[in-house]
Amino acid sequence: MNEPIFEANDLSRSFTVGSSPFRDLANHFLHDRQPTVLRAVDNVSITLAEGETLGVVGESGCGKSTLARLIAGILPVSSGERRFRGEAYESLLARKRDALKIQMVFQDPLSSLNPRLRVGEIVGEAAVLHGVVPRAKVKDYVVEILARVGLPADSVGRYPHQFSGGQRQRVGIARALAVKPQMLICDEAVAALDVSVQAQIINLLMDIKRDSGLAMIFISHDLGVIRHLCDRVAVMYLGRVVELAKTSELFASPTHPYTRMLLEGMPKISMQRRKFMPIQGEIPSPLNPPAGCHFHPRCPIATDHCREIRPELREIKPGHMHACLNIEAR
Amino acid sequence: MNIADFQDFARRFAESRSAVISLAVSVLFIVCAVFAPLLAPTDPYDLTQLQLSDALKPTGSKRMLPGEEVRANIRVDGGTASVQPASPTPTRLSIVASPCGPNCLAVGVEPPDAKLASLQVRNLPAGATVEGGRKHPIQPWWTLDNPDSNQARITSAGPLPAGLTLLAIAKSLEQETGFVFRLGTDNFGRDMLSAILYGIRISVYVGLVAAGAAMVLGTALGLLAAWRGGVADAVIMRAVDFMLGLPALLVGLAILAILGNGVSKVVLAVVIVQWSYYARTARSFAISELGKEYVEAARCLRLSPVRIMLRHVLPNCMPQIIVLFTLNIAAAISMESSLSFLGVGLPLTRPSLGMLIASGYEFIFSQKYWISIYPGIVLLVMIVAMNLLGDRLRDLNNPRLDR
Repeated sequence: MNEPIFEANDLSRSFTVGSSPFRDLANHFLHDRQPTVLRAVDNVSITLAEGETLGVVGESGCGKSTLARLIAGILPVSSGERRFRGEAYESLLARKRDALKIQMVFQDPLSSLNPRLRVGEIVGEAAVLHGVVPRAKVKDYVVEILARVGLPADSVGRYPHQFSGGQRQRVGIARALAVKPQMLICDEAVAALDVSVQAQIINLLMDIKRDSGLAMIFISHDLGVIRHLCDRVAVMYLGRVVELAKTSELFASPTHPYTRMLLEGMPKISMQRRKFMPIQGEIPSPLNPPAGCHFHPRCPIATDHCREIRPELREIKPGHMHACLNIEAR
Repeated sequence: MNIADFQDFARRFAESRSAVISLAVSVLFIVCAVFAPLLAPTDPYDLTQLQLSDALKPTGSKRMLPGEEVRANIRVDGGTASVQPASPTPTRLSIVASPCGPNCLAVGVEPPDAKLASLQVRNLPAGATVEGGRKHPIQPWWTLDNPDSNQARITSAGPLPAGLTLLAIAKSLEQETGFVFRLGTDNFGRDMLSAILYGIRISVYVGLVAAGAAMVLGTALGLLAAWRGGVADAVIMRAVDFMLGLPALLVGLAILAILGNGVSKVVLAVVIVQWSYYARTARSFAISELGKEYVEAARCLRLSPVRIMLRHVLPNCMPQIIVLFTLNIAAAISMESSLSFLGVGLPLTRPSLGMLIASGYEFIFSQKYWISIYPGIVLLVMIVAMNLLGDRLRDLNNPRLDR
């Protein structure tokens, strides 16, 4: 396996709900109510190899987007460490030019583009400011990048609202590519698009990956997209990674009960009629997650010690890890 | 905003007739303010032009030139007379004298068509008289009242003594000029039309400068609060709550009572009152913009926080701030007028509209209504127009209110 371009060790991020300086002060003196803490990302450890695409999949609210922002370095961690090419983020983010190597494509193609700026400025601004291209040559550079994502040269002078959803997402990708990244994080990058446009954008991302060998973290709730695009997949549930394996292996032989249920819920093209089995129960509130294994209230094979012991991610086969107390390697 | 957007915006703006009218009125007032020195018939700041004789004249009355007094010494020597002007200041009239016979001297006034109130000749020797004149009971002074011919004929029984020096004093009547006070005059004899035009100039200046400075200050603090959050946010927003809790006029009064009056101090008072509105608006819109993904994208592109706030967040907050600016110009003008009306705003020598209303207030019950009424109407129209304009801009910016 290659040297990892990115690694995260025990990454956690919690948010304090309803905090204010005054309430903190009152809590300090009264020891009254502890503020509610939401653990959006809870002890996540992942690595990403050079040129690899890692998929992160999970239901809404499981902390995928928070994880994306932690990896992109636009949100500070509560605990744990992030390393890019072996360097800790704290020193990496201080050098802006190098921090640019990590870029992100966002979910909402409209709100992720500043409506007041023309596409030329959106794409070229950071490249000029950080000295990626000289100011005099920025126009040609932007046109070149736009051509790479399949947008015509006259897009430069237009505003985001003058484009369709798929074109806007192409602008978002062009903006990330313009600063020559080495790692690209796609946070639900195709979720807001029509299915036909989704395919175009996925093909574009695959072309970019093939041409430039970019390492990618692709976050989605759509298993079909993940299967199509990713080398390895991490499955998240309530802020924790519950299973991590090669894509082919995960889809062929999922081991964690949650992954299995997710895969069973996936639509398949087959002639025979199939009974649709939704996952039992609602996803619990992340503000007050169940003790032990977060999944035990919905798990068909839960036992008493699932309610008490937190399962750690462990390797059950080479390159296949899961966090379940009851299922051993098969 | 490109041209098509602007055309669309203009079309939607024009759907409201009152908004178009108030835009026209506002532009008219701004033109008045900019070109006041060209439009005003007199310069109301030039105190040397004021005459108390013009004070409190009603609408449409003409300016009167006050009567003038001319003095000249006339030296009579045998058959000739020489005139030496003795007035302390230059005058329009001049005195001439010429012999009109052996024992006769004519004293006249140039130009001959000047209307005289009186013509007096002093130091006549005994035995000499002025035709048609009356003598002072004691002094040897002869006076002609309302002389038709502008000439006094001095006659005496014998020849006038050599080396005789007479003093001639001519007083002219008040004279109408072609200048009309179209809106009357105030109690200093100031032309109200000019004073109102210059008053608009001051009011528009104070409104624009004060609302503009408050916008810059308040928006900067609002953005700072939204960006830093935490303690900075709490401190700035509690200061805003504090300012909003105090009556604006009372704050202005207190500030001007300490600092004294003057245009820059009124501007300062308005800024201290108004910054809080901008801070609150800018903070709330900046917080909602900061939650959007383009800000995260800018962070991911490692742009500096200052650049993100000023180049990405601020332009997206500007429409709402500009609406507030339009409404606050009217508020600033009305606050300046209120402060001037209360006597703490602008100095008497540079009257604003509020000052003019205040100076006419004491005469309004003696039927000299024009001093207060006309500036009042102008102020009312100006504030209503700017409020309607701001309301329309606000409606256009709020998609829920727009159709």
